Amino acid sequence: MPEKEIEGRIFEVDGDGFLQNPEIWNDEVARLFAGEDGTGELSEDHWKVIRFIREHWENNDMAPMVRKICQHTGLRLRQIYELFPMGPARGACKIAGLPKPDGCV
Amino acid sequence: MEKKQSLTRDREKALKGFAMSMDGRLLAHLNSCVHCGLCAESCHYYLSTGEEKYMPARKVDQLARIYRRYHTVAGKIFPRWIGASDFNDQSIQEMVDVLFGGCTMCGRCSLHCSIGVDIPFLVRTARSMLVELGRVSPGLQSTVDAAVQTGNNMAIPREELVDTLQWLEEDLRMEVNDEKASIPMDVPHCRLLYTLNPREPKFFPLSISAMAKIFYAADESWTLSTHCYDVTNYAYYSGDDHTAEELTQRLFDEMIKLNAQELVLAECGHGSRAIRWEGPRWLKKKFPFPVISVIELIAGYIHSGRIAVDPSKNTTPVTLHDPCNLVRAGGVIEEQRYVLKKVVSDFREMTPNRENNYCCGGGGGQLSMGEYRERRVAAGKIKADQIKKTGAAIVATPCHNCIDQLMELNKEYSLGVEIKTVGELVADALIL
Repeated sequence: MPEKEIEGRIFEVDGDGFLQNPEIWNDEVARLFAGEDGTGELSEDHWKVIRFIREHWENNDMAPMVRKICQHTGLRLRQIYELFPMGPARGACKIAGLPKPDGCV
Repeated sequence: MEKKQSLTRDREKALKGFAMSMDGRLLAHLNSCVHCGLCAESCHYYLSTGEEKYMPARKVDQLARIYRRYHTVAGKIFPRWIGASDFNDQSIQEMVDVLFGGCTMCGRCSLHCSIGVDIPFLVRTARSMLVELGRVSPGLQSTVDAAVQTGNNMAIPREELVDTLQWLEEDLRMEVNDEKASIPMDVPHCRLLYTLNPREPKFFPLSISAMAKIFYAADESWTLSTHCYDVTNYAYYSGDDHTAEELTQRLFDEMIKLNAQELVLAECGHGSRAIRWEGPRWLKKKFPFPVISVIELIAGYIHSGRIAVDPSKNTTPVTLHDPCNLVRAGGVIEEQRYVLKKVVSDFREMTPNRENNYCCGGGGGQLSMGEYRERRVAAGKIKADQIKKTGAAIVATPCHNCIDQLMELNKEYSLGVEIKTVGELVADALIL
């Protein structure tokens, strides 16, 4: 099982760097993952997206459509891509501690 | 040496499947490699690691040695003398490691092969044996399973797809300032049935908006299906012919149900290959309707004057990445160049290009096999260097799978580029 060390903390991750134990996720983990993958300091808008994705996953066991992310955060599509340059999956979902979604992402 | 009788039942089944698939084509390719080594320098895995196990000739031998062991007299009696190998834990593990984890089936090796051995075909044949053993990488298998069970490889519920398409339609109407502009869903008797890669509605819908705008400009009769629309076929990658056939049949049935005249494949390399070029083999019949890439469709629109475009609307330097399955395997080579030269003012080829282009590193199902990510990103360095040399700020590519790998290379190798579909650049250049 690959591990990722960020600021002295060790996380079990999959090969793509997605958290293996999503239940250990919290705000601190999000901050560390965002710092490590180049997203940088998390703004209020980042948090709106992360919290919505997390909540959606906890309730539905899947990442939300980007349309829903826009709808619930009030952000425009292009803003989402600017906030998370790696995109909603490899960017936002990873920081929100979700497992990697299937498909071409 | 292990006797055939001592093989486990699933291994016997895999070998039986291998034996059943042994037609003239497979035998010719299995027996032709002369180990000249010309293929080595063509492979992005070998070039990036220098490890012998990635040499395409070695990959061929992984299957050929199993063939020799069970299908030649010498191999049955003196296997070691002729480099034959049992189908055992070790050889299977090596196949998993290299033929799943170290090959994108891009086919560049075959192009450089002195006798034209179809190496990706052999790799896929070996993968088919691993399907029987349940040794497909979990991420790849789960993508196949999602497509089979839910109708699309990201398990998008139908109502969420519809909701997204309606949202995009509203945006389209605002953008073109016409209440009649639409994204038609499940409309029968249209000229075209258009397909999607599920990652478009799920996470990257700008490419759907772009195509809808192009269809609007062309005044096209088209529809999407909300029941069966997935252009991908990850069973092509996993080597699972039975499932590949099932997924292709579903699209075929949807075409018949909606009574559309042409099936138009979204910008997706392996999907184009699977449906258009492998599909008739799986279905054992020819398609009674044309199946074309959306790139060919757009090129036709521009050529016939059906849409008008202005290259001065895209002045940023653009380069093009050629997806292996569409270009090297499929022969859709010049259409995307024709289109890009019409819609951007500064088009730059990367070198090498066209059928000799390097794979981005994301093909072969690699994007879904996270355990091999490090190799995938390392093998993508050649592509990253190619992009850098062009000085372009936008990389266009008619393949969503390539787009995702290029996005990762963009970050890993600090390329500072934008990655777009061809359709997005066309939409930006439209004169309405």
